[in-house]
Amino acid sequence: MSGRDEELIEIIAEEALIDRAKLDPAAKLEDIGLDSVDLVSIVFAIEEKYGVEIAEDAFERTDTLGVVLQKINALIDAKEA
Amino acid sequence: MADPIVVTGLGAVSALGLNAAENFAAASAGQGGIAPVEFDTGELEPLVRGPRGPAPFMASVALVKGDAHAALEAALERRVGASFDVFSVYALKAAHEALAEAGLITGERMGGRTAVIMGNGVGGLHTQEKAYEKFYGLRGGKVHPMTVPRAMMSAPASAIAMEWGITGAVFATSSACASSGHAIAQGAGLIALGMADVAIVGGSEAMATPGGMKSWEGLQATSDTMCRPFSIDRDGMTIGEGGAALVIERLSHAEARGARVIATLAGYGQSSDAFHWTQPSLEGPVASMRQACEAAGFLDGRQVLISAHGTGTPLNDKNESAAIHEIFGANAKKHPVIATKSGHGHVIGASAALQAVIALKALEAGIAPPILNYLGPDPECDVDLVLGQARPIDAKSLLVNAFAFGGLNVSLAFTV
Repeated sequence: MSGRDEELIEIIAEEALIDRAKLDPAAKLEDIGLDSVDLVSIVFAIEEKYGVEIAEDAFERTDTLGVVLQKINALIDAKEA
Repeated sequence: MADPIVVTGLGAVSALGLNAAENFAAASAGQGGIAPVEFDTGELEPLVRGPRGPAPFMASVALVKGDAHAALEAALERRVGASFDVFSVYALKAAHEALAEAGLITGERMGGRTAVIMGNGVGGLHTQEKAYEKFYGLRGGKVHPMTVPRAMMSAPASAIAMEWGITGAVFATSSACASSGHAIAQGAGLIALGMADVAIVGGSEAMATPGGMKSWEGLQATSDTMCRPFSIDRDGMTIGEGGAALVIERLSHAEARGARVIATLAGYGQSSDAFHWTQPSLEGPVASMRQACEAAGFLDGRQVLISAHGTGTPLNDKNESAAIHEIFGANAKKHPVIATKSGHGHVIGASAALQAVIALKALEAGIAPPILNYLGPDPECDVDLVLGQARPIDAKSLLVNAFAFGGLNVSLAFTV
């Protein structure tokens, strides 16, 4: 996992008050227990930190955490490029 | 009253400490929490600094002493994160302390026979201001998605209800500086009507933000130096942040569950001046004090400790002194008067509850905390002020006053 992935997971753990150990990249969002309020708070925090815009429907509840990290990384990479 | 309403738990967070005992200890030791602080508009700098933007400024303020957030996490034995505005953090911490003292934290949901009524004057201003800073100042397209639920005035009450599974009457009261006084009165009313067995009542306030402090500065009601209640040359109030909570219930209910009774809520009074936004009338405070004193039997010549509204504004303290004379007549100077805002600042909506918590500790200990920052007597404040150092007292009765801008008054009478 990259340093940025670590940062993103830290944000998710902080915003949703979820134990970091539960944030396995292979786990689906719905199984991790992220609700819609957690998701909007996470999206806001990531947008703040990296200056990116994340679409409202960017994440599906059936996405795995790994897929979500890829989508966010792609947005950040595009902004930095 | 055959089955009076009693107090079985106290909790407090302020510039004097993170629990009720610390608050009373600091107050009775004459230690105040007011200090000059620089207010800066965090994220706006340096984007709007300069001719078009706000400049940092200094103001005297009583900020909470220590890390209330960490203390709350330790109390709840879980992480709290950034889920709450600070005024909810103060409320939750104070409520936890009061419930723990009352023996009501059992791990079970408290259910529908418990009420929560927590007052505040302005809601979650730190959250609201951060959102406006982002939107107006930084021209950001989005504010924090939880801005509304964090900032709403009922957030502390909801937070307490969710934390302990309280499904009875839960709401906020708002009457500026009297908000938590009204909360205590409404809680007692619900119990008296048989609509609740237990009520968690009090208030919290956190408005020491750059915008909040600028608003107070504009009103010219705040002191440039120190809150000096009842003193000559007093020049205004000092804003503080904090929260306080009391657990109240019927005596029979407390006895049935073996709870220790701290005090009896022997009466309360509520009135409105219907007069002026910032000037007090004499009639309004006299009316609330008289209702409370008559209900509690305080006009029988006994000594009453008076925890004055005592803001340190020229008008309030003169008017409150006159009200004490009006109520007690020839006995007016028999009652020791304390003004703990000189230590914890004016915590606005949390004031009545915080003053009640500290003064109930004072009655229990038989020690009245001194009024701080006093420079000398004002002939228009001719009451028995507790000055210099803590004074041993025999009083078993307490009158707490809260007189708000907009002319809204509450007085609370307790006995031990």
